[in-house]
Amino acid sequence: MASVAGGGLVLEITQPEIDVTALVETYSRLLFRVAHSVLRSQAEAEDVVQDVFVRVIERRQSLHAIHDMRVWLVRIAWNLALDRRRRIRPVQMDESFSESLAANTVPADEKLSEAERMKVVLREMERLPKAERHVLLLSAVEELDTAEMAKVVGRSESAVRALLFRARTRLRERLEARGGER
Amino acid sequence: MNNSEEAIGKVLAGLGGAEASPGMERRILAAIEERASQPSVAIPRWAWSVALAGVVAACLLFAITAIHQHEQIPTQAQQHVLPAKSAEGTQEALLLPQKPITSTRTPIGIAAPARKAQPISAEDAVLLREMRAPSHPAPEAPLTQEEKLLLRAVHTGDPQVMAMLNPEVRARQEAESEAEFRKFIEQSGKEDHESDQITE
Repeated sequence: MASVAGGGLVLEITQPEIDVTALVETYSRLLFRVAHSVLRSQAEAEDVVQDVFVRVIERRQSLHAIHDMRVWLVRIAWNLALDRRRRIRPVQMDESFSESLAANTVPADEKLSEAERMKVVLREMERLPKAERHVLLLSAVEELDTAEMAKVVGRSESAVRALLFRARTRLRERLEARGGER
Repeated sequence: MNNSEEAIGKVLAGLGGAEASPGMERRILAAIEERASQPSVAIPRWAWSVALAGVVAACLLFAITAIHQHEQIPTQAQQHVLPAKSAEGTQEALLLPQKPITSTRTPIGIAAPARKAQPISAEDAVLLREMRAPSHPAPEAPLTQEEKLLLRAVHTGDPQVMAMLNPEVRARQEAESEAEFRKFIEQSGKEDHESDQITE
């Protein structure tokens, strides 16, 4: 049963009680970055975070059985973001994200070419094999270490490290090949 | 090479450093509280089990009914034949033909000899026999008087009668006979006048 008491939302389950407000305050920004690495949209990522905590409410009966709440929440956010990514148009998201990225990093006169360069990187990232792409995207979230990444994608830590190495190498080679064609 | 690495690093840093809009936690909490305050419409597990059992029972009942009906339809004719084979005496008169049905379908009921034959009444037997009798043309009905006359005229070929059947010929004949009659009257009138003159 969920109840609002003293401005905080508490899930009254047998033992121990789960303070949803504390969960939101602790993990919402991490979950937002996880979702944003996949979706590249603030609004969509925020919706995913909200969906994650709705799931928490729905699964309140089995929350006490979860050992690592942080990884569990990240995993939910990751899966929900991947699911949402299939339904939205990623090209539009990448375009606006690359423009915002260029605006933050370069002077105004170089903004267009820099935005185009960021867009090319994002496009090549999407062309990577799925496992490599997922590990590379998770590696962008600095709060997650290799062990947590391994739990999220369901692989061993060594496999995650190998995938990450291959992803960066393949991405760099492809970008250089594109640069050489120009 | 450095250029590509730098671009990759920028993109990854941009992805990792994304910041949510201010007040995200407050909005999320408000949405969750709103959802928590709504009455729960969750259906208990036992209700799902009961519903599932009901659906399974309904499906079974439907399947049994369908199979039962499917078996009954082709064996209805067989039911009437079976007593004829076992009956004696007057029942023989009510027997149906030994090949009652020439069906293209495989009769399922034949493979079920356990089905008991039921005696049929004489009225039903007649009806069934008529129903299963091969089709024949209708029996000849007696000819009417007109049909008999017509048949006789056609078969004898009497020219006078045949002519009477044709309105044109009949009208011509009547005209000719009338003309002959008038001619006869006129001739007879002249002869009477001449004989009167001679006698005078």
